[in-house]
Amino acid sequence: MPKKSAKPTRPQVRATETSLSVATDPKGRVADRVTAMAEASMTICEDDQSFRAVINVLRDPKEPFEVRNAALQALGAAAFRVIEFAPCRSDYIATLRALAEDRDPTLRRRALGTLAREKDGYAQKKLIEGLKNPDVALVSPEKALQFLSYDPHAEAYAIAREFVKKPPNDEAKAEALRLLAADPKSAPLFEKVLRDKDELRDNRQLAASALYSLNPGKFQKHARAMLLDKSEFEDIQATSLTALAQFGDQEAVGKDEPLLKGIQKLGAKTRSAKYKKNARQFLARHGR
Amino acid sequence: MKVELQINNSVSALARFVTWAPSPCRIRVTDPSGTTATAVTVQLSSVSTANAGAVTFRQGTTGAFANTLSLAVPVNGTSVPFFVAGKFGQPSTANGDVKIEARVKFAPSTPPTLVGSTTLMVRIRKSTESLTTAERDRFVNAFGKLNNQGQGRFQDFRDMHASSAALAQAHGAAGFLPWHRAYLLDLERELQAIDPSVALPYWRFDQAAPKLFRLDFFGVSDQNGRVQFSNTNPLQFWKTDGFLGINRSPFFSTSQAPPGLFNENQTFTLGGPNNLYRLFRRMEGNPHGSAHVLFGGFIHDPPTAPKDPLFFLLHCNVDRLWAKWQLQNSRFDQSVAAAYDSNPPNGNQIGHNLLDTMWPWNGVTTPPRPPTAPGGTLAASDCTSAPGPQPRVQDCLDYHGAINPLARMGFDYDDVRFA
Amino acid sequence: MRNRSEAEFARLVDSLAADPHRRGELADLLREDHSWYEQRGTATIVRMRGWVLIALARTGVTDGTLLFILEELDNGVDAYLIAAAATALRAYPSPKAAFGPFLVNALQQIRYRDEPISFEAYGAYAMSGENTTAVRELVKTVAWLGPHARSVLPDLEALRSQSAGLSKELATALDQTLKAIKNNEVNEYGPAACCDLPSNLANKMSWLRNYRRSSRPIESAIFEDQDGTRFSFKEFFRGHPSIVVFFYTRCDNPLKCSLTVTKLGRIQKLIEQHGLDDRVNTAAITYDPDFDLPKRLRAYGRDRNVRMDARNRMLRATAGIDALARHFKLGINFIESLVNRHRIEAYVLDDEGRVAASFARLRWNEQEVIDRAVDLLRERDEEASSIDGSKHRAKGAPKKLALLGSIASVAVAFFPKCPICWAAYLSMFGIAGFNQIPYSPWLQPIFALVMAINLLSVWLRGWSTKRIIAPLIATTGALIILASRTVSGWEKLAVCGVLLTLAGSLLSAVTWRPRKSLAFFAKKSLMTG
Repeated sequence: MPKKSAKPTRPQVRATETSLSVATDPKGRVADRVTAMAEASMTICEDDQSFRAVINVLRDPKEPFEVRNAALQALGAAAFRVIEFAPCRSDYIATLRALAEDRDPTLRRRALGTLAREKDGYAQKKLIEGLKNPDVALVSPEKALQFLSYDPHAEAYAIAREFVKKPPNDEAKAEALRLLAADPKSAPLFEKVLRDKDELRDNRQLAASALYSLNPGKFQKHARAMLLDKSEFEDIQATSLTALAQFGDQEAVGKDEPLLKGIQKLGAKTRSAKYKKNARQFLARHGR
Repeated sequence: MKVELQINNSVSALARFVTWAPSPCRIRVTDPSGTTATAVTVQLSSVSTANAGAVTFRQGTTGAFANTLSLAVPVNGTSVPFFVAGKFGQPSTANGDVKIEARVKFAPSTPPTLVGSTTLMVRIRKSTESLTTAERDRFVNAFGKLNNQGQGRFQDFRDMHASSAALAQAHGAAGFLPWHRAYLLDLERELQAIDPSVALPYWRFDQAAPKLFRLDFFGVSDQNGRVQFSNTNPLQFWKTDGFLGINRSPFFSTSQAPPGLFNENQTFTLGGPNNLYRLFRRMEGNPHGSAHVLFGGFIHDPPTAPKDPLFFLLHCNVDRLWAKWQLQNSRFDQSVAAAYDSNPPNGNQIGHNLLDTMWPWNGVTTPPRPPTAPGGTLAASDCTSAPGPQPRVQDCLDYHGAINPLARMGFDYDDVRFA
Repeated sequence: MRNRSEAEFARLVDSLAADPHRRGELADLLREDHSWYEQRGTATIVRMRGWVLIALARTGVTDGTLLFILEELDNGVDAYLIAAAATALRAYPSPKAAFGPFLVNALQQIRYRDEPISFEAYGAYAMSGENTTAVRELVKTVAWLGPHARSVLPDLEALRSQSAGLSKELATALDQTLKAIKNNEVNEYGPAACCDLPSNLANKMSWLRNYRRSSRPIESAIFEDQDGTRFSFKEFFRGHPSIVVFFYTRCDNPLKCSLTVTKLGRIQKLIEQHGLDDRVNTAAITYDPDFDLPKRLRAYGRDRNVRMDARNRMLRATAGIDALARHFKLGINFIESLVNRHRIEAYVLDDEGRVAASFARLRWNEQEVIDRAVDLLRERDEEASSIDGSKHRAKGAPKKLALLGSIASVAVAFFPKCPICWAAYLSMFGIAGFNQIPYSPWLQPIFALVMAINLLSVWLRGWSTKRIIAPLIATTGALIILASRTVSGWEKLAVCGVLLTLAGSLLSAVTWRPRKSLAFFAKKSLMTG
């Protein structure tokens, strides 16, 4: 049963003009301005003046971070009103590009994130420059790789391979692998990562998914081998089992007696209730 | 004697799903042995297991619902109509956890004899926080299959919400809410084609949702914004546009209520003192848009938002808010000006007027509509014919048949009763 | 090539633009397959191509470069390139009504995806709203069209009538443009004036049979379809005309690959409606064979209502795309194995797998493509008929022989029985000296032999064309002639015999081709109607 609605904990919604004037008042309390900015997102683009007022707050490095961030959020929310936002969009994009080199790292990251999702050439150029030369990097390498992965046409494969070979940290390697999951040439890399028991589990899980996408036949072969490998980690076996259950060639699997027996053993051996259930459901599908 | 019960006027098992809205049903005698009378009195009642759904009955199109119903049914096979509705507050948790039994008392001294029964489900959209483990697992399994590692039907839903031309069909004008209602329904029906017991849950974004952001459900974001899933969660294989996984960086603590959003009551006041849709639809900015930007990652921006399956739970809540506002203010009737924003005197952009068919289901690909129409017509349902394969905007207002019973679309929310 | 920098490219463009004798080379730099674009990301290519378009805006646009500009307006989705194209179009010698639909189309595509644009320097990105935008440039170009935009007046008015989504500035600019259009007339009349582009645009090309490149270089190329079935180019594409489009599933321009494959589905429906589905093949070939594996091909086609069966397939080349790219001269380039830029392209192949028609750069019309395929069917059938005709000429008597045979029949029927008749006949002809030819009874069997040969040829022709009416008539005639010579009292029937022989011979000599062509034309006019 759904809980009864709690009494409102905030004031009723103010008129937009009031919200906007509170949000853009440089003398107002930060918390009040942040709340007001969220309210203003309803109608920011209904007139040019309102929009300009919010953009000016966002662009002003002297404004408190919380207020600038709230302005960025408000604009992001307003952007969903695609038709009404259309007259504001080019200024919004220009502002995000300017923000990409802001002194505040959070604002930089968030601006670049939106630009990257829009496949903005400026953002891609800056991100690649930062990966090649850390001195000019605007975000961490793992974030840069993640942002570049939004566009497979972003000429990031070569850099990603470098980061797999020589990662500055685990997150960067994981993001590099994820970016390469769309690169057909990287299928052998994923085979290697998948079977490497010294590799991080998350990366192996990612490799399973990537290999299935790039070369389903190879994945099925490895999944089978891992399920029958008594020395393999349970969680990796569970991933393989889930993949086979969801996407595998069920007819082939149903005829694979050693595989089914292996799964029976896995189900019996594991202490995890979840893995037991997983194995049970899989076997039930094949009449065991 | 045997009787046949038809739920939603069908014998198909795929039609045995009801909501809070009355579903048309029929009963007829298929084997009259045991009586010489021309008609028998059949008593209908429902039986539920613990934590299961419950249904109520009504004979005609008006009047109160009751826990039982007596009907005079001719033995010659003529069917007799009646209505079944889920009992508000008691949705099912599994398919077939409610049973309707039909009994006949052949003689005053004998107890009623069971002459027929059917199981059914009170299938309701619930909060993510109130799903059972089994419901949750069925839902993520179905969603994983719909995605099918980027090669399933889900790609059509992604493509419907990608290009700017597509986005303009559904955002920033009056049709925002009806379009998304149809969009969610289309997706839900595709999920139900995989597992009919599934209903789309909603993410109540103005409250804490600790169960949702877990490894076994919609995942936990790591410090770089990659969503992690448990090894048994099919969503670990999620793929869109050739890209593996989900990027989602929460800007708040997912164990608490997010800040910056209008809560429900605030949202309901957006319609102003006269509760006008024209004003209410500003909720597209806040709380809808504000909910989107609670995270970095896919869901933050319009062209990438549906790449994150959380999008559909977010929008399910948006739709629930609209449904609740409609109920509170009797805004189901398209002929009532306050129920919609027709933007007189110029009207709205194409696709946003009451009589407009909605892209992509209308298959129209000539400008100003987008050049392709992914996904084809809106998925059909065995439970109802509404809103039709090519719905108009107006078809999405009376979603549970408050004005016209035939407009019932086959979904309801756990906390929005039938009008 | 990858080692050359963008700065070098910009300098090259600038130098070509500055040199009046080398400006023509700018068009070459807009070819997708140019080596400058190899191994570059899409955003880089946008900057490079945009700079070329801006150079054209400064130097002037010719018919040779016009197509690239219209292409960007027709199916581009990048604001920078659309802005550059709109700017460049204003450097065409004069406005044309035909540009109107392109500008309106681009406006509809970009109005909700507008971006700030800077043309100040190569690769510059605008960081403020003070710069121009794609929409601003498009509206400026519509204003430049002025009264030539009359054909798109309804579209512009529709755009203006929706005030939501329009900035005040844009609304004002549109108002001014609409006023200018309505207040002025131009001397361009009729639908042809509206839609006529320069005839040498080269977006649609056709090749006559003798001028088509052989498909031999790729005949043994192996494809795999959406079901994993493998076969050679020759096995699928020889024997029937084919309609071929190129695409890849990771294309993020909805106006290119997604629309192309969707249109292929529509083409298939049209083909089926006209009863040609067992005569024309269709194929969609991926540019990205390493990634677009069979399951992915199938899903992509299914999602776009493409029929997939023995005659209609989604294909990938198992040995890579290079040979196909060379053969079809595909407008494409790559970064590693991923496409970084491509043009729209569709081809119609003849029954030998040779390219007979191409549709490139601009969005093509389904009916036009089918019309070309129908032309190829007709061409094939005409070719088959003329081969039959030459076979007849080889096997049986030529038309001359038919005529000779008819004369022979006459001669047999009326051969004089005596020298006096002989003299009388020759005198009748009045030809000087003929009456000096002595009576030659040995001519009669020769005439009879010629008549028999003619009869044989008529029968052979009738057998090969399966039309026996003519031989029957001729034979009847011949029999009557023989009877008139042998049966007493039947002499007068000789005339009938001659006439029948003549009729049969002439009927056999007339070809059937015109009637068959008429059927084709009738069918084609029904399709286009």
